[in-house]
Amino acid sequence: MKGCIIGLMAKIVNSYRFLDGITSRMMKHWVTLGAPRQIPWSPLAKPISQCTVSIVSSAAVALKTDQPFDQEIERRDPWSSDPSYRVLPRATVTADVRVYHMHINTSFAQQDLNCVMPLERLCQLEALGDIAHSAPSHYSYGGYTIRPDALLRDSVPGIIDQLRREQVDAVVLVPV
Amino acid sequence: MMPELTNSVGVPRNAAIEHPFGLTLGLPGDAARQLAVLRATLRALEEISQPGSVVHLPFEWDASEKVNIYPPEAPPIARFLRRHPWHIPKFLNQTPPEVSEPRVP
Repeated sequence: MKGCIIGLMAKIVNSYRFLDGITSRMMKHWVTLGAPRQIPWSPLAKPISQCTVSIVSSAAVALKTDQPFDQEIERRDPWSSDPSYRVLPRATVTADVRVYHMHINTSFAQQDLNCVMPLERLCQLEALGDIAHSAPSHYSYGGYTIRPDALLRDSVPGIIDQLRREQVDAVVLVPV
Repeated sequence: MMPELTNSVGVPRNAAIEHPFGLTLGLPGDAARQLAVLRATLRALEEISQPGSVVHLPFEWDASEKVNIYPPEAPPIARFLRRHPWHIPKFLNQTPPEVSEPRVP
């Protein structure tokens, strides 16, 4: 049942609170563009306290020692963006990374990576027993994808392969 | 962050939060809030049993907490559309110009 709301919490998230009028109208139009489709579903096989969890952030985070995301792709052709992804080890901290997303104020994430990619918080939850393990590897790509073909064709399979190799049970996708 | 848009593309589980863009988990240094948001998200993963469901996380963003969510430089597409407004319908309808294939000499 698409759009089912769990529970009777008082809070209903306003999707448009932080958008200006023009962007709000655009996003409301984009909501209408999604064609009906089968929603993928994998039941959680065990309690989350027994799961290995990985994080995928769309903030375009890369290790300083890794290849930067190519912002020139988007500057040359504003309908496109770098479709690649980067792998970040579980012990990654803010000082290890740069954030390349061109549609957000990245200064918050540059001060504290956990704003968009909560790797330290996930390790805390491991220590507290909320989850079994933070996975060895976590992932980031650039979330501006007007043309998603290359991302879906070239990047997503690589992420899935590594998630399977590392026997990850659950993934938290963090939008920005 | 935008549950209506996220659900429109058919995600199986959605933990929605009313936080500004670029601050999905909370402010820099606010480890308690970040931890609480991540914990609530994982709880939603356990709770949701119907594909396409959304859990609205009960976190309130303090309206007095003014943050600048905009990048220092407008994104290339925004600058492009200001210069070429006749392309706005393509952007609105997510129908970008086709990429021309490299020609074989």
